[in-house]
Amino acid sequence: MNTRFGAAAGPFLIWVVAMVLILVAWQLLVWATGLPPYVIPPPALAFSTLLDNWPRLSVLTGQTLYETAIGYLLGAVIGFLLALAMGQIRVVQRLVMPALIISQAVPIVAIAAPLVIIFGFGITPKLIIVAWIVFFPVVVNVLDGLASVDRDMLNLARLMGGGSLRTFAIVKLPACIGPLFSGLKIGATYAVTGAVIGEWTASSKQGLGTYLLTANAQMNTAGVYAAMLLLTVIGVGSFLLVFGLEVLMTPWRSRSTAPAWAQWKPSQPAS
Amino acid sequence: MPDPRQPPSEPLPMQSASTKLSIGDLNVRFGSVVALKDVSLDIADGEFVCILGASGCGKSTLFNVVSGLLKATSGKIVLDGQDVSNRPGQVGYMLQKDLMLPWRTVLGNITLAASLTRGATAKDRDEAAELASRYGLGDFLNHYPHALSGGMRQRVAMMRTIAAGRQVMLLDEPFGALDAQTRLGMQQWLLQLWRDLKRTILFVTHDVDEAIYLADRIVVMTPRPGRIADILTVDLPRPRPLEVLTTDTFVGLKRQIMQHLYH
Repeated sequence: MNTRFGAAAGPFLIWVVAMVLILVAWQLLVWATGLPPYVIPPPALAFSTLLDNWPRLSVLTGQTLYETAIGYLLGAVIGFLLALAMGQIRVVQRLVMPALIISQAVPIVAIAAPLVIIFGFGITPKLIIVAWIVFFPVVVNVLDGLASVDRDMLNLARLMGGGSLRTFAIVKLPACIGPLFSGLKIGATYAVTGAVIGEWTASSKQGLGTYLLTANAQMNTAGVYAAMLLLTVIGVGSFLLVFGLEVLMTPWRSRSTAPAWAQWKPSQPAS
Repeated sequence: MPDPRQPPSEPLPMQSASTKLSIGDLNVRFGSVVALKDVSLDIADGEFVCILGASGCGKSTLFNVVSGLLKATSGKIVLDGQDVSNRPGQVGYMLQKDLMLPWRTVLGNITLAASLTRGATAKDRDEAAELASRYGLGDFLNHYPHALSGGMRQRVAMMRTIAAGRQVMLLDEPFGALDAQTRLGMQQWLLQLWRDLKRTILFVTHDVDEAIYLADRIVVMTPRPGRIADILTVDLPRPRPLEVLTTDTFVGLKRQIMQHLYH
């Protein structure tokens, strides 16, 4: 991934080109196979279905987006705090690590059912599933970031008389920001999948996931594709949002000088 | 671990007035390996002493003990007449690795000690900026370290060590990773700094020319076990122009040292 800020305008163009190419390939596939629209709807049909049903779809999108966003934030915060605790206290790391790996080895679909049994048809199981997916890459990456801090750097901080709290805040914590965003970017594309799985299992409130199931059952393939498009937009949008935040919060990775707000200017002598 | 911010206790007698740092009969053993054997050395206030030796002679072990990072098996470190053995943070310390924090600007890295102990103030930053500007870093204060060359980063690391305010600075092969041209420039730059700021410098190197060019005295160490083989006084006038590198005194000293190192 190119994280240079100067190249940020380039990727935007590449995104447009990539999307056009996907649509062209999709249309070509329809023409080449000659399959009827209820098997593969052409892009135009998917888009017109999307627009025709927009009033309803927009509400569903809002619901799924809401589950994704809250679950994502929960997973990110829990993952980050857990990683910090694990990185600072060895016993915690030893105890928690096996549980973490087991938690990710269990198929997420298998977790969904018991969660519904425990928490009901409301939003809670969806949030848990999304958070469950997001927190793992965050934990792993932040732990790596903490471990990557040079021992000599920590010795230097000690020799400079740095207390453990200040050393943590000044030397260790910033070393986690880059890795944190690596985890957050992975999580951003997966999070929406979690919300959909949650909705599939059982839902009192309709979202894009439930719509997908219903449309599929009704042979409304164009509707399935419309929902798919919207889910993709959520996923890509989340990723780009996190990526933009990363560029803002890690200026040292993309710039050679500090941004204006962080620049030193000679302070005026007191009059 | 003793608190490095506490002032050292109990003044000791028998130190001559000009002795800044005294390394007394130091022994360090790692299991059955003797890393340092009977190392004693008195360093005068404002003196520039180079520790010279091949790898494995205990140079870095010596520094780790003097800085307080490593506990000696026996012996003591006396700074300004006070026992500072095992008290980290009494002397400045700089390594070959520049150890820049990539997310801090040049100025932010220079003021690191203040940030780590009490939070850097505007006054700290102004002073650091003034110091850095005087020694050629003025145009880079708001740069991130990755935008600087290796030589420039070592200058920043040196400024950070100076800004930490310790009178004795341990420099462990600070120019070891730099190319020969840059290194010579850095040596001259360091000598200028040392003359202006009147700090006491203990400088580890394995480069014989570097040791002679910089030092008042050269401590030659030999390995297995790490010990002091000889202490030579460098009788070259200061300031030292580059021409001293080819004088008879320089070459004579070099020959003498080489005999210790490669006998």
